[in-house]
Amino acid sequence: MKIADRQLTRSWLVAFGTALFSLAQLGCQPIATGNRLTVASAGKISSLDPAQASTVNTIQLLSALGDPLYSLDGNGELIPRLAEASPIVSPDGLTVTIPLRRDVLFHDGTRFDAEAMAFSLRRFLEIGTLSYVVGGRIRSVEVAADHQLVLRLSRPSTSLEGLLTSVNLTPVSPTAYAQHRDGFLHDRFVGTGPYRLTDFSEHQQRLEPFEQYWGEPPANPGLDLITLSNSTALYGALRSGEVDVLLSPSIDEDQRHALHEKAQEGQLREAIGPATEIGYITLLSNVAPLKDPRLRKALALSINRQEISERVSYGLRRPLRSLVPPSISGARSSSWPAHDPTAARALLNAAGFCSGQPLRIPLTFRSNVPADKLLALTWQAQVKRDLSDCLVLELDGVESTTIYRQLGEGAFKAVMLDWRGSYPDPEAYLTPLLSCSSPQGDVCLEGEASISGSFWSTKGLQETLTRSDRLRGAERNRELQRIETITAKGAAYIPVWLEAPRAWSQTSLEQPRFDGSGHLLLAQLRELP
Amino acid sequence: MARARALLRYSATRLGLAPVMLWLIATLVFLLLRVAPGDPVDAVLGSRAPAAAKAAMRARLGLDQSLLDQYLDYLHGLIQGDLGQGLINQEPVSSIIGRTLPASLELSVVALVVAAIVGLSIGFSGIARPEGKLDLAGRLYGLGTYALPPFWVAMLVQLLFAVSLGWLPVGGRFPPSLMPPQGSGFYLIDSMVALDWTALRGTIRHLVLPAGTLALLLSGTFTTALRLNLRRTLRGDYVEAARSRGLSETQVVLRHGLPNALLPVLTIAGITVASLIGGALLIEVTFSWPGIALRLQEAINQRDYPVVQGIVVVIAALVVLVSVAVDLLVAALDPRIRY
Repeated sequence: MKIADRQLTRSWLVAFGTALFSLAQLGCQPIATGNRLTVASAGKISSLDPAQASTVNTIQLLSALGDPLYSLDGNGELIPRLAEASPIVSPDGLTVTIPLRRDVLFHDGTRFDAEAMAFSLRRFLEIGTLSYVVGGRIRSVEVAADHQLVLRLSRPSTSLEGLLTSVNLTPVSPTAYAQHRDGFLHDRFVGTGPYRLTDFSEHQQRLEPFEQYWGEPPANPGLDLITLSNSTALYGALRSGEVDVLLSPSIDEDQRHALHEKAQEGQLREAIGPATEIGYITLLSNVAPLKDPRLRKALALSINRQEISERVSYGLRRPLRSLVPPSISGARSSSWPAHDPTAARALLNAAGFCSGQPLRIPLTFRSNVPADKLLALTWQAQVKRDLSDCLVLELDGVESTTIYRQLGEGAFKAVMLDWRGSYPDPEAYLTPLLSCSSPQGDVCLEGEASISGSFWSTKGLQETLTRSDRLRGAERNRELQRIETITAKGAAYIPVWLEAPRAWSQTSLEQPRFDGSGHLLLAQLRELP
Repeated sequence: MARARALLRYSATRLGLAPVMLWLIATLVFLLLRVAPGDPVDAVLGSRAPAAAKAAMRARLGLDQSLLDQYLDYLHGLIQGDLGQGLINQEPVSSIIGRTLPASLELSVVALVVAAIVGLSIGFSGIARPEGKLDLAGRLYGLGTYALPPFWVAMLVQLLFAVSLGWLPVGGRFPPSLMPPQGSGFYLIDSMVALDWTALRGTIRHLVLPAGTLALLLSGTFTTALRLNLRRTLRGDYVEAARSRGLSETQVVLRHGLPNALLPVLTIAGITVASLIGGALLIEVTFSWPGIALRLQEAINQRDYPVVQGIVVVIAALVVLVSVAVDLLVAALDPRIRY
């Protein structure tokens, strides 16, 4: 053998050094971006059709590509967007007239008018996957004049104003969607928003300012929206400066906390939107053992929300004792009882448990949602600490798709879920959990309450829900509080925490902001001068 | 002549059996998806959609038919080369595969080339002094990289080179601020054909970490395979004969040892590239690489039956084709092989 070890080692060192140097050279030359901004989030976008949009990502994107009739400002006030003024409601509450702007063009150059708005609304009512949010309130959509839309309602509805801010009702160009009147258009969007879409793939979208936009033009020269498939990649992309803005959905708790800390230290900017997502536990109330309301109440009393908030989310998810987020008007923040293990023990005792015979409850959590697992583990530990002889929580992780499929079949005794109303109104939170078209005593045989997996209802609840949507102001708030109190007493749901959308940006950008519906104002993102 | 005929017969048998294997795989995937909990209509419309809307969509997608009818429809389409449409966005499955397969192939081929160069070099370097320091290091490298958990390595590489040092992008396949090159879907080739050096540099920057990580994990296999085969080869009679003819050790190794030791490595490379096409999921997830494995995972989560079925069948077909091609190549290179 003539080849010496040392010589080989040296060759390897040289080769390794050269490779590393090349890597550094390659990496140190950033690609020019032309001042465009890159916004990252998790989760691909499968469809751009507002009639099908349901994910946070899609709705965020559509909020930049289109305009709703109204939007909410940071104080929750209704601001006309494509509407010219506030809706005019007839004295009987059954007719709503909406005057529309006259200076609006779609991205394809066609004019926005009442016909276009009616086309989009009818299309949504016909094929919209979320058309159930309308709940049969809109009986017909009529064109009263070129720029005047009339909605005929089947019943008076106070929450309709909130519904009109929904991104799902964003108008689309009737010309561009002529072939898609009865079907979805997934990979294009032709609306009226400040940006037009110039390139679309599930993982990346390119937005250019729309030169003929009726409102204030975007403050940046364009946006690239990208999706990265895991939380670490998202966190790393922001920390390394590869992306300018990061949206919070799907960021793990530790990384969310780390970004929050960096923002506190001035290394990043952080924007917090209105808290509109609730985390809650659904209890199956139509079969034993949780058919007994004492046991449901005991479970509600056994959970220490403050401790869970601190342990799981470092306090970033606020404890919640209401089904409606407090930021939404009319909400009451403390209908559900606070943590009280002594009271829980008394109830369990009265129901025949404790003293060697603990109540065993399987608690299902979404295995693909890390925060759910942490919440489940923490609650299980709390119960073990406070009520070990009375109550045992048996954890069971199930993939979310399976949970949603089997929820309405009564497959889960206790299951952790979250909910974000389609529009910012108490009705968008209460109806999807409590509405029941066929109640029988305290059991809901058919309706939203059974789809939600609780199968719980109570005498007069449905009537109270319907009545509350006819009232306004303080009178409505009182009725909504009554609903919350009744629901808390039934204890078929246990609200746990409240989550606010967050976004972080580099310090080279101006402070990002959210609107009142929780959408990041992408058009206002800009680099500091 | 007889050998060529035997080879041809062998190839024809392998390729002839391929449809049977693909049918078995397609049937298995079809059944497994239907048995698994979860409903594609819920995935599209949401669990709260009105029952009438769900029923209409179920009818439109053919999910209201009996399982047998669905299966026969599926097989009928498959025979005609129609993989169907995705349930979620009605995009033809062939388009989805056409978009994501080049990404996975590009990643796999680059990773394999790098793995082969690095792994074979390390395996070869230890031959200078068997049981010496370099040989021991090569053995450790081979075992170590084989045993490393892919997800953990990928995370570490990502944190070090992308997050801490900021040298390379965290994920994705192409700089978001640029328009990807048009053409075959293989960005390296497309950007070179278009003489677009900015695009080429962007492509390489995004390729380095995922391909490098995959290469690191694969290279140990090459190191170990070459090392063992080379040592066995160098103990062969014909090598002793070469030495006795007065050839230098370098000549013996390069002319007689290496070519024979590389034949089994070629088979390993073939099997590896075939399995990588669908098996690089953890790398694709970590580096947000929009390849076929990532798309398959998304489709499984969404219960998008046609997409899952289409991707699995195409991957299976590729595995069969690559393994037959490797067999033919090895047979062509090694006259000792008989069929």
